Amino acid sequence: MAWNKKKQAEDVPYQRYTRTTLLVQVIMSVLAVLFIAPLLMIINYSFKTKKELYLTSPLSLPSSFQLDNYKKAFDKLDLATTFTNTFLYTAVSVLILALLCGTTAWAIARCRARFFKFCYIYFIVGILIPYQALFLPIYIIGYRLNLTNTRYGIIFMYVATGISFGVFLMNSFMSTVPIELEEAARIDGCSVFRTYFTVVMPLLKPAMATLIIMQAFQIWNDYLLASLYVSKKDLKTLTVAIQSLFSAQTSDYTTAMAAIVISVLPIAILFMSLQKYFIKGMTVGAVKG
Amino acid sequence: MKKKLISLMLGTTMVVSALTGCGGGGDAAGGSAPAETPAPAENGGETADATENAGSDVSEPVTLTVLAGQSTTDAGIEDMIDEALAAQYPNITLEWECVDWGNDFQPKMQQYMQSGLPDIMIGKAQDVATYAPQGILGEIDAMYLDRGLDAARENVTIDGKTYGLVYNALYQGVYYNKTMFAENGWEIPRTQEDLQAIIDDCKAKGITPFASHMVDTWSIGNVTMQFMMNDVFNHDPAWGDKFRAGEVSFSDDQAAQTAYQYNQLIFDNTYPETFSTEQTDCDAKMVLGEAAMKVSGSWSIQNFLDIDESFDFGIFPFPNQTGDSKLIFEPNITIMTSADSEHQDAINCVLDVLTGNQELAVEIYDYTKTASMLKDVSPTFTNPSQADIDKYAADGMIVDVTLGNNQLVWGGFQEENAKDIAAWLQGDASFEDALKASDGRVGTSSAN
Amino acid sequence: MKKHNTMEKNMEKQYLLLVLPGLIIFTIGLIIPLLLAFRYSFTSWDGMSAEKPFVGLKNYLDLLQDADFRSAWWFTLKFTIGNTIIQNVLALLFAVALDSGIKAQKVYRTAFFVPCLISALIVGFVWLKMFSNVLPAVNDLLGTNFNFLLFGDGKTVLSGLLIANNWQWVGYWMLIYLAGLQSIPGDLYEAAKVDGAGAWTRFKNVTIPMLAPAITICVVGITTGSLKVYDLLVSSTKGGPGRASTSVIYQTYTTAINGRQYGYGSAMSVSLVIVLLLVALIQVKGLKSKEVQQ
Repeated sequence: MAWNKKKQAEDVPYQRYTRTTLLVQVIMSVLAVLFIAPLLMIINYSFKTKKELYLTSPLSLPSSFQLDNYKKAFDKLDLATTFTNTFLYTAVSVLILALLCGTTAWAIARCRARFFKFCYIYFIVGILIPYQALFLPIYIIGYRLNLTNTRYGIIFMYVATGISFGVFLMNSFMSTVPIELEEAARIDGCSVFRTYFTVVMPLLKPAMATLIIMQAFQIWNDYLLASLYVSKKDLKTLTVAIQSLFSAQTSDYTTAMAAIVISVLPIAILFMSLQKYFIKGMTVGAVKG
Repeated sequence: MKKKLISLMLGTTMVVSALTGCGGGGDAAGGSAPAETPAPAENGGETADATENAGSDVSEPVTLTVLAGQSTTDAGIEDMIDEALAAQYPNITLEWECVDWGNDFQPKMQQYMQSGLPDIMIGKAQDVATYAPQGILGEIDAMYLDRGLDAARENVTIDGKTYGLVYNALYQGVYYNKTMFAENGWEIPRTQEDLQAIIDDCKAKGITPFASHMVDTWSIGNVTMQFMMNDVFNHDPAWGDKFRAGEVSFSDDQAAQTAYQYNQLIFDNTYPETFSTEQTDCDAKMVLGEAAMKVSGSWSIQNFLDIDESFDFGIFPFPNQTGDSKLIFEPNITIMTSADSEHQDAINCVLDVLTGNQELAVEIYDYTKTASMLKDVSPTFTNPSQADIDKYAADGMIVDVTLGNNQLVWGGFQEENAKDIAAWLQGDASFEDALKASDGRVGTSSAN
Repeated sequence: MKKHNTMEKNMEKQYLLLVLPGLIIFTIGLIIPLLLAFRYSFTSWDGMSAEKPFVGLKNYLDLLQDADFRSAWWFTLKFTIGNTIIQNVLALLFAVALDSGIKAQKVYRTAFFVPCLISALIVGFVWLKMFSNVLPAVNDLLGTNFNFLLFGDGKTVLSGLLIANNWQWVGYWMLIYLAGLQSIPGDLYEAAKVDGAGAWTRFKNVTIPMLAPAITICVVGITTGSLKVYDLLVSSTKGGPGRASTSVIYQTYTTAINGRQYGYGSAMSVSLVIVLLLVALIQVKGLKSKEVQQ
């Protein structure tokens, strides 16, 4: 039946609004409402008082519009600091990742020496390493190298854990980069580096956009590494702050719900306003691989 | 008197070692100090001079790191402590790292044991038994210990040295709806038969006998230890050690099996959705009169009173087979210090605030709805179950659960056993499997 | 000839310089910890004390007997297979539906996508509330009697977690498929139409092949992500009821940390890495060869 639905949808790829389109529209509307329901619940809870939480139905609306939970959450999250930190870690990490994964994947794709084939496998292994299970060695290494409780330390770790997927993604994109251009550049006397930065990298931009988008989500939402590497208050990230609010407030999660709204809202708005570019980035990067 | 003398001795050595600059550990002369005898929680003893200041001269601004493993009731006390500290020792700032005790305290401790401990750690009394043998905890100055109740010290003292300052206490047992008990003419049950009679009457009247929230595995683990205390440890205080020595096992020991079986009794007499009910919802049901009893601990009081400040409830120990159950007492918030901290003076100032500032103490007890472990400090909130607690205390019918928790540790043992019990209750494993699994875990039953 | 050789060597060196920074960061950040874990896996270290007694292969031998670890694997596999299939199919369906010319595409995109902006920890908590409080209240409201207490029973906990995980990620993968669909040139469909291909044939012969790279990325991303599931469990089921939703990583973590058996836990993670490696190599090889064919 599922296939049927698609068939109908497929009948009118980019065309007039027919009865089938209407059907699809209705189905998708229902689904969208279902998807949004939990979000509405979060918002609803975030306005309730503790008593209302216990004593009224989860579906009932708060009796009055009060912002106490938001005020509390705002204070507890230390939003100015945590938001800036999270943004900074995410932005710097993804930029480094885009740069590094591009060069690495390209070198691996172009150089036929055995070592580079090995490198590819070596990096791919990283996708599979469950770093959650390695938290103590990761911490030990970080501590020995003075990476803990520093901004560059946490960024270092995000790059280390993200590079595998990045190389994988970039590598699958490399086949679409026409090798003739590179050869032409080389005949003109360009070094490998120049070739990369002047010829290849501009072509990789879409793939980089995809990589940046995909990694940004991972890093933005990361909890484990941040909690492992950062315990100083002024270095904390949003997820760590929310988590401590959460474990502490299980009896009063109205505040925690407000915290979720506060933390998701900016990035949701960002997504909505940049949606076009998102899709574009995804399109070229992830798809033409 | 003897106790006083020992603490004086310890105190002196501590002061000396503090003066000579060797932090904590060192060569404290303790040696052959005999284990102190357990004393029931009572607000007696002489008044400690709260105004004297020990390592007070902190002239430079200092920032101390604090790792706080908190339970749901404790979250928020850090702000109170900060405030009191700022008033008394403005030079000292605390940098808090608050984590959930159940999930994150142990990993954080492991992590910091690789690099260096925070200056102050706040956990539970049983943590002392886990970490002190690693040689990383500092001794607590007797001056501060003396401001606390003697009962607080016993289970945080190892080889005569005290590594933890117990700040408050919880009581555990069966919370019951007093109004409901009065209306139905139920007496406090002393034996299993008494309890069964109440359960039967409940069922006849369409009341759910027990409120429970088995979605939280910790809750299953917690009540199981309560059962173990009264059916096993009360008769054999060294059961856990014997278990490790191979003399007893869950598969063979009738009493231990009975303790496990009580879970079934609860499960059969609670609402069907217990595995989907969280503590807050469960406590709400209790307050709303949907259930008559709840095997729990003081952490529920906060919820009870938040929902309905006039909710009338009491507490009794879960009846055991021999009808001589004791109310369970648990030293809770326990302050530990790092043996290697460079800021011993500042740490002492914090301890001074915690033990000496009665206003702060009352504020914390009132907020967490817990019992005081400081001499001459009593919370001012009305605790409907206090009368019951006093009665059991007067009769000497109180037992410290740290006895059991130290012999059979929480993480890796009780916690894991609770999962097997849950699987058994759900019908995914047999009772024998659950017992066997507990036996198989003997290797992780002790922290050391 | 010789000159050519040195040039090649020279270029190789430059390529090497490009690879090196990433290689070093990756090695320090992830591979050395893995090797450390490998070393610990031969010890009975408790994760705390200074000494790490060597026990040889004991941990690995114990692992073979460990019923809890086996059941953790079983759960993880079921979760992964379920996720990979459901998430891919749903994401593709959603993408196709959104690409079929319906109005207000943007609104739908946003609705499906927003959940993945929330961290898995919170998603777990949100669904715990949904299943235990909100949805039963919906039952009361409508007078229906659906069993929504999915987290409360070992038999349904998997489906509950699948719902939560799909809710979070379908929109994300959908976006990738959507991007893929929109980049397929319309004249390919036209040509197929001219050839007399029906909708299904067109989907099979044009859409799917053109989406192959996107499929590879989605399948690999979903599979490896699901095999490593942990955050979602921490805040929802805590591996329960009983052990019904204990994943390999969850089991590893509780053994190594809460159970203070770091050596044994390390053996678990090493074995996990090995299995993951095998799975991924097979998968990448298989998917890649398919891509090449088309």
